Amino acid sequence: MKRGPRIGYVLRQSAQLVRGSPWLTAVSAVTIALALTLVGLFAMVLFNANHVLHDLGQSLSLSVYVKDTATQQDIATIETRLKQRHGVKALKTLTREQDRERNRKLLDKDLLEGLDESAIPGQPVIEVEIDADLASRGDVEELVTWTRAIQGVTSVEDVEFGAEKLRLLFAIVEIARTIGFVLSVVLLASAMFFVFSTIRLGVFSRRDEIEILSLVGATPGFVRVPFLVEGALQGLAGALVAMVLLGLLHLELRSLVRDVYMLNATWSLLPPSMVLWLLIGGPAVGLAASAMSVGRYLKV
Amino acid sequence: MIQLYHVHKRYPNGCDALSDVTMRVREGEFVFLTGPSGAGKSTLLHLLLVMERVTDGQILIGGRNIHVLRDASVPYLRRNIGVVFQDFRLIGRRTVFDNVAIALEIMGLTRKEVERRVGQLLDGLRLTHRAGAYPGDLSGGEQQRVAIARALVNEPAILLCDEPTGNLDPDLGHDIMNLLLDVNRRGTTVVVATHDAGLIERYGLRTLVLARGTLVEDRPRSGRLAPIERGPAAAVGPDPLATSTAATSAGAAAFADIAEEAP
Ligand SMILES: Nc1ncnc2c1ncn2[C@@H]1O[C@H](COP(=O)(O)OP(=O)(O)OP(=O)(O)O)[C@@H](O)[C@H]1O
Ligand SMILES: [Mg+2]
Repeated sequence: MKRGPRIGYVLRQSAQLVRGSPWLTAVSAVTIALALTLVGLFAMVLFNANHVLHDLGQSLSLSVYVKDTATQQDIATIETRLKQRHGVKALKTLTREQDRERNRKLLDKDLLEGLDESAIPGQPVIEVEIDADLASRGDVEELVTWTRAIQGVTSVEDVEFGAEKLRLLFAIVEIARTIGFVLSVVLLASAMFFVFSTIRLGVFSRRDEIEILSLVGATPGFVRVPFLVEGALQGLAGALVAMVLLGLLHLELRSLVRDVYMLNATWSLLPPSMVLWLLIGGPAVGLAASAMSVGRYLKV
Repeated sequence: MIQLYHVHKRYPNGCDALSDVTMRVREGEFVFLTGPSGAGKSTLLHLLLVMERVTDGQILIGGRNIHVLRDASVPYLRRNIGVVFQDFRLIGRRTVFDNVAIALEIMGLTRKEVERRVGQLLDGLRLTHRAGAYPGDLSGGEQQRVAIARALVNEPAILLCDEPTGNLDPDLGHDIMNLLLDVNRRGTTVVVATHDAGLIERYGLRTLVLARGTLVEDRPRSGRLAPIERGPAAAVGPDPLATSTAATSAGAAAFADIAEEAP
């Protein structure tokens, strides 16, 4: 008859363990909650940053200013060159007059009053719309290299492209990712340490009990399972708390994005898969920590 | 049921607790194990439970050589051997009921079945009113009965008792003895380690005498078995095991499916 312990028995024993050291258990659960919240928060921020970058990449535009001296032929060459790149959606070539017209509209009416027509800037320009798949920093760098190459083409005067902003954004995302990763690892490690210590304390305070169980014929598994479940339950409690915290942060962030940045984001701020990850991750972290503790301190 | 061949036990500190002990206890027998303090009685019981391993020699229980038993099989051997330890070894933070229930819970019985069997046994041992109490709040005699209940609840083939009447007043001691004899009559092989010469004298059962780790005497049952009487203030009820479902334990057959070490 090789049967494991009944669930009822395991839960009663685990509850007993919680009652044995309620404070340490609470601290473990809270540390797991904080660690998971942080992991979740960074995941949330990065997930959404990637969304922003993706959206940005879809509506990139650059202006290629052509030298005054350029002939129709030169412009056609540049256009062909531009079209070669994948993701170039549309080209719109403006003559000097059309560009001037466009600028006039942008300028203030009052300012234009006494202004000479030739004082309004205007230059032949090719407006390029690109749909770039910006998944990483490399994609931005590649785009930058490409614009530099265009700059080198004869009769191109200048290329205007907000690459620096994009690069900065990517750099920020990358720093956030690194900090988030390091912090998450540190917090998760300390959360695991707390669970590890709680379980160790439980094992030490139940040495007699563990020995007796084994003497009356309990298998090592039977003796260990309540401790493992106790660890997993601490993780689960932490995950549930983390979910509540993240839910609140999510609402807070969403209103911030809407009201302050006036962005009507269509993408989800809290991906549903994260809920699942938390529900699996919390107990897994708790279980791993208690398994380490049990493996080290519970000899049967 | 229990066979020892030239068993030698030397503790890591160099103490020879047993040397060249050869003995045999048949199925259904009731045997006293006696000798002065330090003679090796407890050591012998610990070897039977594989709490310690022999230094030399062989031990067979129910025909299985426990010397070659895998660690993973030890729990299954122990389930067939009920033990009442000299110091009871009850779990202080669990109730009387839960202490007895352990022996069934480790086998994965349903809560309902556990409640039924523990309830019956506690009833028979007149411990029902103490079921919710903790061992620390019990008298020595009550603790002893709880320890016995735990050892008996899963109807083991063998019952080992280390000083079951020690520290008890004589009346209580006889109640316990009557209970053990009852268990034995139902088919369980019983080994009682004691240095209570009066007790041995009174019951006239087979007695193995140890001295400084060697078997010095194997006194057969005298035949003049003292009448089994109940003390005036009988703490133990009449026939506590009468309500138990299985009348007799499985005997040596219980050890048949314990896996041995692969060669
Ligand atoms: N774990 C141990 N380590 C070292 N020596 C031990 C150990 N247990 C017992 N001994 C020694 O082995 C010898 C036999 O001890 P054991 O406990 O078997 O005697 P006993 O017959 O049960 O005595 P008592 O009647 O006092 O219970 C003693 O000399 C004791 O000191
Ligand atoms: Mg002893």
